[in-house]
Amino acid sequence: MTRDWWKHLILILGMIVVIAPFYLMVSYSFKSPGEIERGEGGFFGRQELMVDERCVSLRAPDRKDIAAASQRFPGQTENAIRTALIAEAKSACSMRPVVFNYTKAFSEAPLLRYLLNGIAVTVSIFLIQAVVALPAAYALAKLKFWGREAVFGLVLFCLLIPVHAIALPLYIILAKLGLTNTYAALVVPWTISVFGIFLMRQFFMTVPDDLIDAARMDGMGEFAIVWRVMLPTAIPALLAFAIFSIVAHWNDYFWPRIVVTGNRDLFTPPLGLREFKGDGDGSYFGPMMATATVIVTPLIVAFLLAQKRFIEGITLSGMK
Amino acid sequence: MPAPDVPSAGKASTPPPTPTNSAPVIRDYRAAWTLTGPALILMVLILLVPVAIAGLLSFTDYSLGSDSFNWIGSANYEKLFTRASYEKMFVATLTYVVTVVPLSVALGLGAAILIHSLGRFGALYKTIYFLPVMATLLAMSIAWEFMLHPTIGMLNRTLELGCGTLLERVWPFLANGCADRFPVWLGDKRYAIWVICFIGVWQGFGFNMVLYLAGLTSVHRELYHAAEMDGARSAWDRFRLVTWPALGPTTVFVVTITCIRAFQVFDTVEAFWPQGGGPNKSTYVMMFAIFEKGVQQNLIGIGSAITMLFLTFVMFLTLIQRWLVERKVHY
Repeated sequence: MTRDWWKHLILILGMIVVIAPFYLMVSYSFKSPGEIERGEGGFFGRQELMVDERCVSLRAPDRKDIAAASQRFPGQTENAIRTALIAEAKSACSMRPVVFNYTKAFSEAPLLRYLLNGIAVTVSIFLIQAVVALPAAYALAKLKFWGREAVFGLVLFCLLIPVHAIALPLYIILAKLGLTNTYAALVVPWTISVFGIFLMRQFFMTVPDDLIDAARMDGMGEFAIVWRVMLPTAIPALLAFAIFSIVAHWNDYFWPRIVVTGNRDLFTPPLGLREFKGDGDGSYFGPMMATATVIVTPLIVAFLLAQKRFIEGITLSGMK
Repeated sequence: MPAPDVPSAGKASTPPPTPTNSAPVIRDYRAAWTLTGPALILMVLILLVPVAIAGLLSFTDYSLGSDSFNWIGSANYEKLFTRASYEKMFVATLTYVVTVVPLSVALGLGAAILIHSLGRFGALYKTIYFLPVMATLLAMSIAWEFMLHPTIGMLNRTLELGCGTLLERVWPFLANGCADRFPVWLGDKRYAIWVICFIGVWQGFGFNMVLYLAGLTSVHRELYHAAEMDGARSAWDRFRLVTWPALGPTTVFVVTITCIRAFQVFDTVEAFWPQGGGPNKSTYVMMFAIFEKGVQQNLIGIGSAITMLFLTFVMFLTLIQRWLVERKVHY
């Protein structure tokens, strides 16, 4: 143990560098603008009550408010009432920085909508990929038919083409079809996962033929075999592929950036964060980091809970 | 269960399939095409047709919204190889790939070996090093932007702590920073590309580490004993003679996938410099160029030419990998 100290030293130094931006992100999401500006407050900030200036200026009393409030402050001058009202607004608008940051994250931009978009897009991508890839993988692994080698050769060739690389022609096609700024544009290019076909084929090769024969003798058709015999055996592989796919598309920024312009209703989480960054001024660093934290957290938590599965899924592409 | 003359894939697995199987083979034949049909159609429409379209458009001056276009021969490609801004694109992309690939492979391997040799705490390091792989890169880019902020950033603040200490004497960079000011990391063309490279390594080495860890667990203990018998005493000898060769297949894969990912760097560049690709275009990488020229400026021809070049690079790399896997690295 003691002679391993240098290994720990190196690994801990590395760990500090790896953790640093996460630390900063979460820490800023707790702090007030002043604390961020001056770099104080440790990790959690001091959490002193702060006044939200925008909220105060929104509640700035006009003549009508003062007239309405004059009954509450009988016999005072207009100016005194105004001051009292502003003080009220200030106390109503003051809150802890952490509350401020996270409420702003959800209220300044429709973050909840972005998150739901993200879930909808990633889940539908995965489901379509599975529905398309599983039957094809089964046919390539277990059926003998004229042209099988050609189809598999095509799969191997298509593995060479990263979808991001052909984003421009895909974008042109979608634009010509009038599909940019739709959910379809976010999902369609990813509906075919050549990698998924390849992976599931490799997996199906290991399923004993007897299982399929038995199913055929029971009078099952090929489709029924795919969904009722092959799918249950493939759950572990499919789960790994699901993680691979969902992580990739939840985090994807390039493709949504290209096909979704301006229409906030379609924003995925990274796009929402990008917009936040684009129009944020100095006092919005905290809410922005809160947004970033909210976006990053789901996958990180899932990863920490099911590390082995995640590492399996993400490194899938390394399996032979 | 009686064993009738059932045509089965099991029996047919002895090639060639016997003619008695003809009826089910025909059934298989129809079913097979129905099963592969959707995948086949999508592969053609989503992957092959776009490649062809990009190939054709790269010889035109097409732009979205215009009804006609002209064939302009190889003018787009000529531009790519003659204009200074595209030269910067190649320089930035190659700098990035050539820096990030070796560093993240080496760090991945180093971390894997260290972690593998530790019994306790190994899992903890592994978990932490893997976090950046999972995190949304765009969000982390913004966090890095704050880390690197010239005045309120954590990095420069940490460096400032070194001012007035002994460190200042031995490290000229620190002394300069203290005397004048610390670098504007993202606004300085001397540093910008290296910052992008650094974040690339930061994000990617955990992935390589995990692959190497998987590789290391499959290296047989006896090989080390055998090497020791043969006189491989030092740790370096053991690494050179046993570990490294045994990890050959992993390395081929890790290098290829890191290369392909490195070519696709985009998120960090776009997050830091939404316009123009960094100070003096020093971080004008290919993906960003495709996005800027093709999508933002609607210069589809030139964007397609970059796309074709990009595809060529990536396909070339993958083919080299497959070739290596097939011939060299089987033990």
